[in-house]
Amino acid sequence: MSERAPFLVGYLDNETNQSDLPPSSDVVIIGGGLLGTSLAYYLSKSGVETVLIERDDINREASGTNAGSFHFQIALHQLTPNMSESEKRRLADEVRLQVDAASLWDEIEQELDADLGVHFDGGIMVAESDDEMRVLKEKDVIEKEAGLESHILTGDEMRAFAPYLAPDLAGISFCPREGHANSLLVGPTYAYRAWQNGALFRTGCDVTRIERVSGGGDLKGKRFRVITSRGVIECNRVVNATGAWAAELSAQLGLHIPLGLSGLHVNVTEPREYFLKSMIQHIGRRLTLKQTHNNTFIIGGGWPSREEKFPKRYSNTWSSTTGNLAVALRVLPMLADVKLLRTWSGVWAYTKDFKPILGESEKVPGYHIAMVPTGFTLGPMVAQMLSQYMTAAPGKGKLPTEFNIDREVA
Amino acid sequence: MIDSQFDLVVIGGGPAGIAATSTAASFGLKVAIIDERATFGGQIFKRLGEGFAIQSPDDLGKDYARGARLIDELDQPRISKFTATTVLTIEANQIITSHPVEGVRSFNPKALVIAPGAYDRPVVFPGWTLPGVMTAGAVQTLVKTQQISPGKRIFFAGSGPLALAFSAQLIKYGAPVFKVIESAPFPSPAKLLGLLSSVNGNWDLAGDALRYRSTLLSKRVPFHYGRIIIKAEGSGRVEEVTHARVDRDWNPIPGTEVVESADTLCLGYGFFPSHELFRLLDCNFDYDETRGGFTVAKDHWGLTESSSPIPIYAVGDGTGVTGSYSAEAQGRLAGLHIANHLGSLSTTERDTQSKGFLKELNQRNKFQRAINKMFEVKQGIYQLADANTVICRCESVKAKEIDPVIDSTCDLSVVKSYSRAGMGLCQARNCQRQIAAMIAKRHDRSISEINFQTPRMPVKPVEIGKIADPSIREEKYFIQ
Repeated sequence: MSERAPFLVGYLDNETNQSDLPPSSDVVIIGGGLLGTSLAYYLSKSGVETVLIERDDINREASGTNAGSFHFQIALHQLTPNMSESEKRRLADEVRLQVDAASLWDEIEQELDADLGVHFDGGIMVAESDDEMRVLKEKDVIEKEAGLESHILTGDEMRAFAPYLAPDLAGISFCPREGHANSLLVGPTYAYRAWQNGALFRTGCDVTRIERVSGGGDLKGKRFRVITSRGVIECNRVVNATGAWAAELSAQLGLHIPLGLSGLHVNVTEPREYFLKSMIQHIGRRLTLKQTHNNTFIIGGGWPSREEKFPKRYSNTWSSTTGNLAVALRVLPMLADVKLLRTWSGVWAYTKDFKPILGESEKVPGYHIAMVPTGFTLGPMVAQMLSQYMTAAPGKGKLPTEFNIDREVA
Repeated sequence: MIDSQFDLVVIGGGPAGIAATSTAASFGLKVAIIDERATFGGQIFKRLGEGFAIQSPDDLGKDYARGARLIDELDQPRISKFTATTVLTIEANQIITSHPVEGVRSFNPKALVIAPGAYDRPVVFPGWTLPGVMTAGAVQTLVKTQQISPGKRIFFAGSGPLALAFSAQLIKYGAPVFKVIESAPFPSPAKLLGLLSSVNGNWDLAGDALRYRSTLLSKRVPFHYGRIIIKAEGSGRVEEVTHARVDRDWNPIPGTEVVESADTLCLGYGFFPSHELFRLLDCNFDYDETRGGFTVAKDHWGLTESSSPIPIYAVGDGTGVTGSYSAEAQGRLAGLHIANHLGSLSTTERDTQSKGFLKELNQRNKFQRAINKMFEVKQGIYQLADANTVICRCESVKAKEIDPVIDSTCDLSVVKSYSRAGMGLCQARNCQRQIAAMIAKRHDRSISEINFQTPRMPVKPVEIGKIADPSIREEKYFIQ
């Protein structure tokens, strides 16, 4: 793993990236985030002709603005008070999916032959009150059933395990499988390896319209004409990997994809001597906190930021900054004199059931969507699943039915 | 805490901010003036703190006295002064600040003046991060107010009026400057004539320049035109500096290098305006390398277009470097316009009273333009680094680590993501323009076409414990 990812990005040089769009391709992927780039990698690895189109630069939106955490423990936003047995089963299924994703992340640095800052240093979920402690124990049971290792610690045991935490917390759960990677590098590295496999990339290329070519339907005939700011390309199959913008593009083909959008606030501090191996989350408040291997602290957890129209980035608010930092200090009081250096914000797109939208539309054959609400953790695995579907013999590919893209099509 | 009592908030307590504050207050407006330093006056009129070696203002010359007079204007009952107060962000009409003891304080005035000042232009060349390489501003503070010389053999490299003024000042205070180099060529007769034609109303500045030159002459300190610093070397600190003759674009001419031994290298290549707050407010920008690069767009009252619901005025060197007299006139004009805008001064009276300041501003700016023509900063100043030169000193990122990223993008934020350049404590103040110049060169564009990184708050680092607010609760997160 000698090759540091920043040295990989010359792939988008003038000779390739700036040249015209090719007239046609088997697959056109729209969107150069983690989903799009990893799909380009898996497809091109199987020899599928692939062109990826991105209106901005690679990895600029949610894929590069999230905090890079692998969330395997059941989190606050997944829970409801007084869960029914069926809800618990649904959660257990989600945990199993996360556990599967973990094994992909185990091998990703080898697969891509690059240092992507992947670390499995465990994750702590804290509870402040007795009520939260009860929820923590409840979710721990579900996780264990789903095969995720976790441990509940309280009192002196907790303080000995994590002496840096506020000593009066009610308790914690610890999941050794959780970890993180550098979200700034994963997408670009997938893109680089895809390019080496023969996939083409065009950035600064905005799709204005997707047209269905009449009389199509045969896999060999081109079924779509994609009109962009840099020319027209025809293709058999389109993959919409535009994340938060997936609904806008699908609407052109008469597909209604109900997505919720929310700006997420993130803080980063100056570096301090490394001491915090494990990521920290909160079962009752919005908090994720970790020390990166650059020794800075990244603090987030779902505080809102202000929506802005592209190309302006979502903007950060003072109340999210100070509210989020207060939760962080409650859990880790020793951060009080660490300086906040910068904030940033990304857009989070989610479905009603928080499940991925993955697969081919029955209404518009050849049109695919790949969209994942917890995109960083699940993104590469979901892309791999879609690639397997797209490279299977016609009619043989299978994807989980609960990800069906028409399920939410009105 | 939101402080709602003020008609006007002025950010920055240098000559421009003070003039805006006292002018607006003189028409009955309630004004808060904020500065992050312990005293008002800005860098140019910096006050002496406790423990400073020089205590008699007389020893500090007529500028110090002018500063004292300006600062005294702030002693009006309608003016509230907030020192050691750092602006962290501006949201709509709300200015959010932090004080080391008193914590967070917010203001929501009816108008806002931003007079943030400028900082020393960083110049990147092999060895620029060695101890002993200092900016003119830092050396000035040490020498002038602490009577401490940073070295025994100071080499001064710079350009523009600053190179002459600072080096002469340093010599006057006894600092051992042994040579001064200026990148611009010896002024041509045509440029000198241009300067003469604009000297009316600027005899004070012209006189200063002559005095500075004669200080150098009387101390027999050589002053060379048309040369630029290209390297500093030494083990652990500066021991040798190399300079070379430049062509018309300030590119060093091979074969003209001269190596000199020195223990301190003082750099005075001008200033960059601090424009972070204007960027947060989505203001428009022009580009003028000699006035410090990106300068906020505004009318002659200082009024900008921004995303804020209240009028935002931009005055002083933080809006393009033109010096303290121009800054003061800009502040007065903004003060008059605000007084009129908020109904405390008739338009006729505003226009009558502004005539003198407009004339002053025009004369000062005309002179400044003539000087700028003489000492125009050329793009060669960005071409001094080699592959192993550290570009981002906070994160120790070298040119050769940035180059491959630049191949694929013109976006400074992308360069930051991939290389970490610009992620550190200085919040990219030192490296951003250098990287922009590298992008411009690689993609054959003008540096003025390379956009800033996405502006993000806080504009200055601040301790978490000073701003965390437990009273703010997030929305409930359970699925409803």
